Amino acid sequence: MFFRMIKGAFTRQWKKMLMIALTIALGASLATAMLNVMMDVGDKVNQELKTYGANINVVPKTSSVVDNLYEVEEGEDANTAYLLESELGNIKTIFWAFNIVDFAPFISTSAELSSGEEVKINGTWFNHHMDLPTGESLDTGIQNLRTWWDVTDGSWLNEQQAGSENSVMVGSVLAERAGIKAGDTINVNAGGKDYSLTVAGIYSSGDDADEQIYGIMDMVQEMADKDGYLSNIEVSAITTPDNELVIKAAKDPGSLTISQYETWYCTAYVSSICYQIQEVITDSVASPVRQVADSEGAILEKTELLMLLITVLSLVGSALGITNLVTASVMERSNEIGLLKAVGARDSAISGLVLTEIVITGIFGAVIGYFAGFGFAQIIGHTVFGSAIEMKPFVIPIVAVLVVIVTLAGSIPAIRMLLRLRPAEVLHGR
Amino acid sequence: MSLLELKNITKRYGNLKALDNVNLKVEQGEWVAIMGPSGSGKSTLMNIIGCMDKPTEGEVLLDGADIAKVSDKELTAIRRDKIGLVFQQFHLVNYLTALENVMVSQYYHSIPDEEEALMALERVGLKDRAKHLPSQLSGGEQQRVCIARALINHPEIILADEPTGNLDEANENIVLDIFRQLHKEGATLVVVTHDPEVGEIAERLIILEHGVIKSETKSSAADDAVIK
Repeated sequence: MFFRMIKGAFTRQWKKMLMIALTIALGASLATAMLNVMMDVGDKVNQELKTYGANINVVPKTSSVVDNLYEVEEGEDANTAYLLESELGNIKTIFWAFNIVDFAPFISTSAELSSGEEVKINGTWFNHHMDLPTGESLDTGIQNLRTWWDVTDGSWLNEQQAGSENSVMVGSVLAERAGIKAGDTINVNAGGKDYSLTVAGIYSSGDDADEQIYGIMDMVQEMADKDGYLSNIEVSAITTPDNELVIKAAKDPGSLTISQYETWYCTAYVSSICYQIQEVITDSVASPVRQVADSEGAILEKTELLMLLITVLSLVGSALGITNLVTASVMERSNEIGLLKAVGARDSAISGLVLTEIVITGIFGAVIGYFAGFGFAQIIGHTVFGSAIEMKPFVIPIVAVLVVIVTLAGSIPAIRMLLRLRPAEVLHGR
Repeated sequence: MSLLELKNITKRYGNLKALDNVNLKVEQGEWVAIMGPSGSGKSTLMNIIGCMDKPTEGEVLLDGADIAKVSDKELTAIRRDKIGLVFQQFHLVNYLTALENVMVSQYYHSIPDEEEALMALERVGLKDRAKHLPSQLSGGEQQRVCIARALINHPEIILADEPTGNLDEANENIVLDIFRQLHKEGATLVVVTHDPEVGEIAERLIILEHGVIKSETKSSAADDAVIK
């Protein structure tokens, strides 16, 4: 009988039920869209921020101590310690290897142009191909890390191209001052040896690098007489915003409890990734480039807060809509409810009947809302981030719980009204 | 002991006295009609007897138990087990068939039994209309469904509020015939009506005015005596 009554209510009041379902669907769709985007926005924003360069810098331990003690500026020759080039591949073996999207090693030395001008020449990877100890291969280098460099003449140096061993890229300020163009050959003297270098391109970086030269790692190592050594490594990693646990770990990972340590170690915090890099690069100190790491965290937090706010507001809106519709429905059915009470139905039985109708309607609305919301998420993904939003399965139970809470909360005023209804009042006007 | 006894019943709505010190006894198997002009307190009395309202003062004894003092939950249980209600407006659930409307009363009382519900409809001559919705039934037919619903749980008292108020003469006669049959079978009937013809058929006619019983008359079939 109960199900006959439910079925009757649906078949004969389908317009009313459809309105309630659509209201729930609207809230559920916004919640689904926002939650899916919110769960995915971290990766999206991180990928966007990767265009602003590396967020981790790895230097030799002694160099780091000297830098910290004496605040040695970049470029000053205080660096007497080096990292081992042979350990570079280890970076892609850490727990968070997949979060390391790019990295490039650096070594620098000074050279003298034929004009007599002293310049800084940096050795690095441009688009280096490397085979990892894990058996995988990787193409990485500053072409991915220095996306803001504007190559004004020529092109990026291509390491894969034969004959690129003596190629270099020259900063725009230096190039202009020395009259260097792409395709030129420049002669430099470094470490007492003369080198004839081909200019692959002129770049504009907007910083000190505009006065420097960048060349292939092996060549500069030879100039500096540091074969197999590096002065630092820049790493670009996808990270999770910092929290209190990170602050505690930053002071001393040893102060964490075992479970805290596991949580910290197994979360892609910039500090845990740094820690893991230090574990695989001998005598190194990996530290976050705070400006980038902090802005990532700040943007993520604000974006997620905005999404959360929209989700909450849409659910509150839905709850208000449900309140109006269910209350209107109960008012319209007051005679029927009064009659059921008159023939002996308990308040709990009638509340159960009405709530069952609303919950079934809610489930229907939630299913429509979920798929509509997933569609909205894709529209947001393509419009804002230019890519699809990944479907997160755990959003389903969250949306289901939210829909149940919102539907029941929205029904409370109607249920209270229903409980107050007295059969004598609705059936006899008393 | 009377099946129903009202002792010094007063019902106030604010300053208005809808019932003023009413005393009434209804015996098992009796057919009592209550008449009176609008505002005389008929519906209030009906609501109190039907356990849908409580008096402000006085005692309402049904089977010896004072229903004026029980909780709303207990009142619901008494209504479910002991009272059968027939309304002027029928009050059928519009999305349920005639049969389902009868079964609703069974559902909240005990266990729905389709066979028994069909028998109740057969008793009021509507077995062949069991699958029809209220909107597909005439006023008389709807009232008969309402009576079948009131009878289905074998109540101790059948309370009818203007049962013929919305019916034409032909349907009125059908409904009154059903009441006669029920009375013959021993049912206790309390009928509130405006219609003198309906009132006169009852064994006892009570006239209410301004919340007090003005007169109580036994029908010609009895002794015609004016008691009060």
